Amino acid sequence: MSDPAARGTERPGPAPAEPGVPPGTTGPGTVPGPAGGPEPRQRLHPLSPALHGAKSLVVVIAGLSWSTLSRVGFGWFAVMAAVLALGATVLAVVSWYHTGYHVVGRELRVYEGLIWRRTRAIPLERLQAVEVVRPLLAQLTGLAELRLEVVGGGKTEAPLAYLGVAEAAALRQRLLALAGRVTAGTSAPPPGLAADPAGTPAAPPGRPLHAVANNDLLVSQLLTPQAFMIPFGVAFVVAQFLSEDSWSFVAVASTLTAMAGVLLQPVRRVLDDWNFRLARDEGTLRIRNGLLETRAQTVPLDRVQAVGVTWPLLWRVKGWLRLRLEVAGYSAGEADERNRPDRLLPVGDLATGEAIVAEVLPGVRLEALPLSPPPERARWLNPLSRQVLGAGLDARVFAVRSGLLTRQVALVPYARIQSVRVVQGPAQRRLRLATVHADTAGGAGAAARDRDVTEAWVLAAELTARARAARRAG
Amino acid sequence: MSGDGSAGPPPASPLPSPGPLEPWPDTVRWQSVSSDLIWVELIRLAMVLIVLALGLGVGWAVSGSGFFGAAVGVVLLFGVLRSVAIVRAVRAWGYAEREDDLLVRHGLLVRRLSIVPYSRMQFVDVSAGPLERAFGLATVQLHTAAAASDARVPGLRPAEASRLRDRLTALGEDRAEGL
Repeated sequence: MSDPAARGTERPGPAPAEPGVPPGTTGPGTVPGPAGGPEPRQRLHPLSPALHGAKSLVVVIAGLSWSTLSRVGFGWFAVMAAVLALGATVLAVVSWYHTGYHVVGRELRVYEGLIWRRTRAIPLERLQAVEVVRPLLAQLTGLAELRLEVVGGGKTEAPLAYLGVAEAAALRQRLLALAGRVTAGTSAPPPGLAADPAGTPAAPPGRPLHAVANNDLLVSQLLTPQAFMIPFGVAFVVAQFLSEDSWSFVAVASTLTAMAGVLLQPVRRVLDDWNFRLARDEGTLRIRNGLLETRAQTVPLDRVQAVGVTWPLLWRVKGWLRLRLEVAGYSAGEADERNRPDRLLPVGDLATGEAIVAEVLPGVRLEALPLSPPPERARWLNPLSRQVLGAGLDARVFAVRSGLLTRQVALVPYARIQSVRVVQGPAQRRLRLATVHADTAGGAGAAARDRDVTEAWVLAAELTARARAARRAG
Repeated sequence: MSGDGSAGPPPASPLPSPGPLEPWPDTVRWQSVSSDLIWVELIRLAMVLIVLALGLGVGWAVSGSGFFGAAVGVVLLFGVLRSVAIVRAVRAWGYAEREDDLLVRHGLLVRRLSIVPYSRMQFVDVSAGPLERAFGLATVQLHTAAAASDARVPGLRPAEASRLRDRLTALGEDRAEGL
């Protein structure tokens, strides 16, 4: 197996299995990584292969599954898992030996591969967001993974796994500073980045914007369809347990695994969004979250492509909403939703939402969006949701509302519109309606559904004109 | 129908209003794509149909079941309908270069119009498959950072394709603001 391939298959693999890691206390806060000059090629942290090996052990165990365990017995199962994990570790050591990175001018170069050598040069002017991810094991060992989001990358570029925490923080600071200098040259200068020289030690936390109460987070995830399924699932298992005399360990274990699969999403959300902290550091947003795996994400504000607001049905009892942040680079290429950290606010009330939206998109008020519903005849296509649909041109953003049960509002700044499309299906043609799409580099953009045809053309023309004006203004 | 490139809705449109694909008729000069694209598309369709019909025909000959005969009939009928649709769809395809953006419209059943600013261009693709080359055609596609952007112009003469490509590249460089 080739070296890059080993890394490639290994990296996305562990994600689904990670919540299976037994929960533990958070590790020591900071362990200084190896210091080094900026110019020579640098290695990843020497403990990285051990971590990769441990991660692959989890994958191997999950891959071998319950039925294998029951077929071969525990001893053989352990041996198989150990052999496979050892093999993965050896590959990881070889891979580690040949992996290196350094910063050259405005590029980050990453070298990897033993048989197929690969050098990636990542242009920093295209940097969209930087994330420092610390899985549980990395927290225990004082390591961190650095992920860069670059436009045009199908998936996260250059996950540098793993670096020492201090080293990761310093590198993040440096990369953002390099990326910011270029932005300052081409468009509106983001003061935060410009005023953030690499010399500043220990990332300043910035001005705290909001902290999500963990109680609210728990309640919000209990108010999901999946959580409502728990009683049924438990009843099913109990029924199975009582009715079948010949119940086996495998049957019960498999049922429990299936149930865990259903509950995975809410549980993951709780684990991922635990201790959610949002701060603003001049021109960048800093987001920290996670219980077992902590993530610290840094997004320059001028890289925000769109903001999505969601009111899930069950949350209406509490009047809660969720905010989503679309950044270019977290593309559809990431199959695993977990690797698209797009949360701007996992749960919060309207006032909080307003405050955060005003911070990210100044001058936008969720309560005062100039939304207008589509014409009366659109009810033929949206019998129930016509009143919910809405679209409008605000001063700086294009706002679109949709969704009868799960209400959603998409806010796209004019300056971030990539292209405008008008689409008209056969039924819409008969009703003289059309849908106007505003495409953005990240996420799905915004679609104003079923507008009157003439209005749609005006809307498209207006969007094009405003997008052009916003681009010119910088 | 021949004037589709400059004005007028397709005749089948049930509405008397100005063509739904003509938002700004006075300012936009639509250019149509080469009608040779019809042949390319028809040959592509024919190849699929021939394979299908042959398979079903062999089945018919071997089993003698009337079901296969009916299936061959359905395939041929589908082919005829699709051919008509292809002819009209190719004629409905158009593009226009404005000062700041490229307009592309296509589709018969579902009609689409894309407005792509030159400044958002990431790269331009020019491609020509064997069939397209045989008819001296090429396809130009403009890519932006948004995956949903859809600006593909098929059925261009090579000279026109390279002119469009060069113009798009030049304009994109002039106004580049990728994101």
